[in-house]
Amino acid sequence: MLELKNISFRTPESDAGAQSLADRDIIHNLSFTFESGGFYAITGPNGSGKTTLAKLIMGINEPTSGKIIFNGSDISNLPIHERSNAGIVYGFQHPARFKGMTFRDLLSIAAGSDDEEKLVEIISRVGVCSLDFLDKPVDGKLSGGEIKKIELATVIAKNPKVAIYDEPDTGIDLWTIGPMVELLKREQKENKTTTIVVSHNKAFLEAADTLLLIRDGKIGYSGDLAGAVPILEDLSVCTLNELCQGEDDAQCYR
Amino acid sequence: MLNAIDKQILKEVADLEGIPKGAYNIRKNGELQGREVSANINIETNEKGDGIVIDIKPGTVNESVHIPVILSQAGLHDTVYNTFIVGEGSDVTIVAGCGIHCGGKESEGHSGIHEFQIKADAKVKYVEKHIAIGEGAGRRILNPTTKVFMAENAQAEMELTQLGGVDEAKRFNEAEIGSGSVLLITERVMTEGNQTAESRNEVKLTGTDSKTNIVSRSVIKDNSTQDFYVNLTAVARCYGHIECDAIIMDNGRNQTVPALRALHPDAELTHEASIGKIANDQLMKLMSLGLDYDAAVNRIIQGFLR
Repeated sequence: MLELKNISFRTPESDAGAQSLADRDIIHNLSFTFESGGFYAITGPNGSGKTTLAKLIMGINEPTSGKIIFNGSDISNLPIHERSNAGIVYGFQHPARFKGMTFRDLLSIAAGSDDEEKLVEIISRVGVCSLDFLDKPVDGKLSGGEIKKIELATVIAKNPKVAIYDEPDTGIDLWTIGPMVELLKREQKENKTTTIVVSHNKAFLEAADTLLLIRDGKIGYSGDLAGAVPILEDLSVCTLNELCQGEDDAQCYR
Repeated sequence: MLNAIDKQILKEVADLEGIPKGAYNIRKNGELQGREVSANINIETNEKGDGIVIDIKPGTVNESVHIPVILSQAGLHDTVYNTFIVGEGSDVTIVAGCGIHCGGKESEGHSGIHEFQIKADAKVKYVEKHIAIGEGAGRRILNPTTKVFMAENAQAEMELTQLGGVDEAKRFNEAEIGSGSVLLITERVMTEGNQTAESRNEVKLTGTDSKTNIVSRSVIKDNSTQDFYVNLTAVARCYGHIECDAIIMDNGRNQTVPALRALHPDAELTHEASIGKIANDQLMKLMSLGLDYDAAVNRIIQGFLR
């Protein structure tokens, strides 16, 4: 349904200019097929390429090589808005803040309608935002949790075929994470939304049908959570002990 | 008589579909076009004959005054001195504004000098829009001056808007804010082509517990320039904040100079200023919701200037 074919993404090292020798591979020849209606969690160490991969699917990053096929069409060269209108929508880890834009404005753009009844219906469907959010400015005054709830609602309002959420739980209180997971599961079940969540949170990893573990820009593992547990545990063990141990000049090399 | 162009201008500057309800004074090409007073709001030509005095009786609530100016005569440069006396305890809305229609080669201009004496416990909302339309090549010039003197515990909210069409604008705002009074100024200016706009503001917090918030939103397109200066001076225990944001598009140029002067130890003054292009994350967000690049830019600018 959504197929990544030999995707690579390379970026120049920031301090080395555009010299190809100093380019850094963020995603390396990665291939994977997301099946329609599946719930996928992408996890892995910091800097492994999870967000980059998600942005490649949305068209925010352009792959250096490889193809992205969505429902049989090559969307590799489609701009962001065309991918969005084709059914792929992205929830940002750090959502944009606007001066002069309200939640109502964003929701109306996403839903393609500013009909009050329709907007209220979306808010009750999402559940995690209260109705009085509607006329809140989406500016710097919102808390980290509030803006993430708004971000989630705008993605759902677009009725995506593929919903990508980049760390949706950042800044969210513990009491909301459970309802958030339930919401994404409900959307997956009722609307057949293919759901891709980039997360380290156990709640999302447990909710997923398939887990993708990204390491050094490649898929280190794909399968169920049980199979991933030994690898995840291994990742949590530091392999640099020899370097940092000692009483003098101890420092973390990770 | 108001012709179709006049009606269009009235709609744009004062949201009026025709002759307004309540008190009004319509000035066209330097002459009185129509005037209506109400039981509580009197409008008279001033002694010198170069403007009007709008006298709002103490205790007048939920009333409005419209004083639009229409300019459509080539070569005319019109200057008016208007005085608003807002009586104690009143709560009113004043809608001003000037629309220029330029059909020829000669320049047209309007300089409106508005002085507000806002008495104790009064509340006033002042809405001023400036527009310029027409196919003529003449320069359209608008140089508004606003002077505000606030007594105790008064509130004033001023919305000053100029969205395109005006070739040259030099604005000067001056305010003195008395004890317990609050002044909110929001200025929205969009320039394009080779237009220039300058706004100078001198705001003084004179009374104990006086407050002000000065917001400037600028969008500078094409080869236009905008300069914004504000001097905020505090001589009492008070609170003042300045927020200036400018979005530069194309080759626009901007200078933003907020200055704070605390001449009292309990003055609390802050400012934030930013100049830059439209933030990439804002564009990405709107595009990820299905808007193409141009539509996303338009929505961001619309919201920013709202």
